[in-house]
Amino acid sequence: MLRAMLSSMRLLLIAVSASAFFVGTEPGSPADLQAGQDLAAGCAGCHGADGISEAPLTPSLAGQPDEFVQWQLVYFRSGARKDEVMGPIAQALSNDDIRNLGAFYASLPSPKPTILPDGLSQAGEKLAALHRCRSCHADDLNGFRAAARLSGQREDVLLKALRDFKSGKRVGSGVASMADATFELSDADLQALSHYLATRP
Amino acid sequence: MTLSATLKSGAATMLAIAVAGAALLVATDTRSEELKSYDSSKKDFWLHPPDDWFMGDETQEQKGTHVLNTLPPPTGFTDDEIKATLQKIKLPPGFKIELWASGVPEARQMAWGKDGTLYVGSFLATNVYAIKDDGGQRTVKTIAKGMKMPTGIAYRDGALYVADIDKIYKYDNPEANPDELPEPKVVYDDMPPYPPHGWKYLAFDKDGWLYVPFGPPCNECLPPTSTSQIRRVNPGNGLAEIVALGVRNSVGGDVDPRTGDYWFTENARDWLGDDVPSDKLNHITKIGEHFGYPYCHQGDIPDPKFAMGHKCSEFSPPALKLGAHMAPLGMKFYTGDQFPADYKNNIILTEHGSWNRHQFQGARLVRVTTDPDGKTVKQTEFATGWIGEDGKYRGRPNDVLEAKDGSLLVADDFTGAIYRISYSK
Repeated sequence: MLRAMLSSMRLLLIAVSASAFFVGTEPGSPADLQAGQDLAAGCAGCHGADGISEAPLTPSLAGQPDEFVQWQLVYFRSGARKDEVMGPIAQALSNDDIRNLGAFYASLPSPKPTILPDGLSQAGEKLAALHRCRSCHADDLNGFRAAARLSGQREDVLLKALRDFKSGKRVGSGVASMADATFELSDADLQALSHYLATRP
Repeated sequence: MTLSATLKSGAATMLAIAVAGAALLVATDTRSEELKSYDSSKKDFWLHPPDDWFMGDETQEQKGTHVLNTLPPPTGFTDDEIKATLQKIKLPPGFKIELWASGVPEARQMAWGKDGTLYVGSFLATNVYAIKDDGGQRTVKTIAKGMKMPTGIAYRDGALYVADIDKIYKYDNPEANPDELPEPKVVYDDMPPYPPHGWKYLAFDKDGWLYVPFGPPCNECLPPTSTSQIRRVNPGNGLAEIVALGVRNSVGGDVDPRTGDYWFTENARDWLGDDVPSDKLNHITKIGEHFGYPYCHQGDIPDPKFAMGHKCSEFSPPALKLGAHMAPLGMKFYTGDQFPADYKNNIILTEHGSWNRHQFQGARLVRVTTDPDGKTVKQTEFATGWIGEDGKYRGRPNDVLEAKDGSLLVADDFTGAIYRISYSK
């Protein structure tokens, strides 16, 4: 079923991109979901077989926006985002590989939350409203273009990301917006936020 | 009164006005609750802009318009894709556009070095580039990396100047090492440290002073009194004076070679709708002139919240309304001989294109003709075609620079490329 869906989506993508290709100004060659899936087999060891991670500090990629996945791979490849594991892996990726991986992970069903809402997540929900997470990550917090899907992400991944944005170790795509958004947040706030986001379906 | 004293007392006066304005708001305005994070009388506003500095005024009507819609494809453009776009660019008869250099991520302001090296700043790419032209073969080198947002670039008397949010650096003899810039000297640093509207553009005047814009750290607010202005900075001794007040986000300007007057582009506030207010081209005719922000937009629209009793007639109107959300950035007076004679002393300005609008518009070059006094100012389209038939961007021009032969270079931070526009009969 999934495979059938994927392959019909793939045809659709090829059709759309191919017509644009003849116009000659559309960037990039058509995304190839099958090639993305083949390549992603190498990522499954850490990021999970269905793009749903069970490894500490390793993000789930299933259901992430296509552009978000692509940007992160581009940042790892250029060194703008530093990571001992992902740096060398991204070095080996071509532009086509990156487009295919983005399309593939975006096509996978997103993870279901494994923790239930509680007092801490309620505090996090208030912070998310106060600090305008939805301005970029969308009303359902499922991500938008270069902004990551936050709903149902692993709590430890979210917390590390927030800490890295706050310390300046990591920079996002949106004009220093994550450094701004985390500027006034305490570490307890970051914990509440990550807990809340991890509980979201 | 010394120049620095002028700056200090000017700032003090404005602080008093801002504080009084804020007090008035709290006392009389029932909406003060929703305005409180935009109150620059609070200390933290000076250290850190509000979290919602650019999305905080989002309206239901404009929802869905977002800066994230204007990012280029993450894996960039190939030269063939860029060339295909350039084939569709419309120019007046006799003009042509070609790809001059690519592989210049997020290319912003440009300046020529003394040996014909082209220096180029960038936005979030954090780089400064040097492009060498060796008989038509161009080599792009990243000569500085890891800066904040080194958008503003200028060159004078053998030195390169880079404005990087809160510092203006001077690099003496940057040609000495073609791979890396030398250790810089900080020539000016009296600037807020945060990125929101902190990216800059530089223009030298005849005396060797730099015009430097200071944007407010918000869409619409009572700005900290060290922002929302244009200063004229002497990089020789670090002195500065405020030459224009009430300026929102300006990232482009040039000195009229006929008069020495400074003209600058200004981006108007967002979230009032697709077609208002208009962005502006301004002309400073006297020092300390106030151009209306945050009280009045486009010379004739009082701000719905922040007019606070002010009338638009109190402020200097724009020399020209450029249209809503066009995002005018870099501009230059054309002084060369290659273009037809009636282009002499015209302004060619770049429009980066909209984000806070349901359909993109802008992404073009505009030709502005004006007499030296700025009494008769007119605009016509000069180069268009960077928005595809699907409504998506294919490029976003943001700066122009005349080459020695009178042709015009164009920086595009969307494709990471430099184009060349030339004319022949």
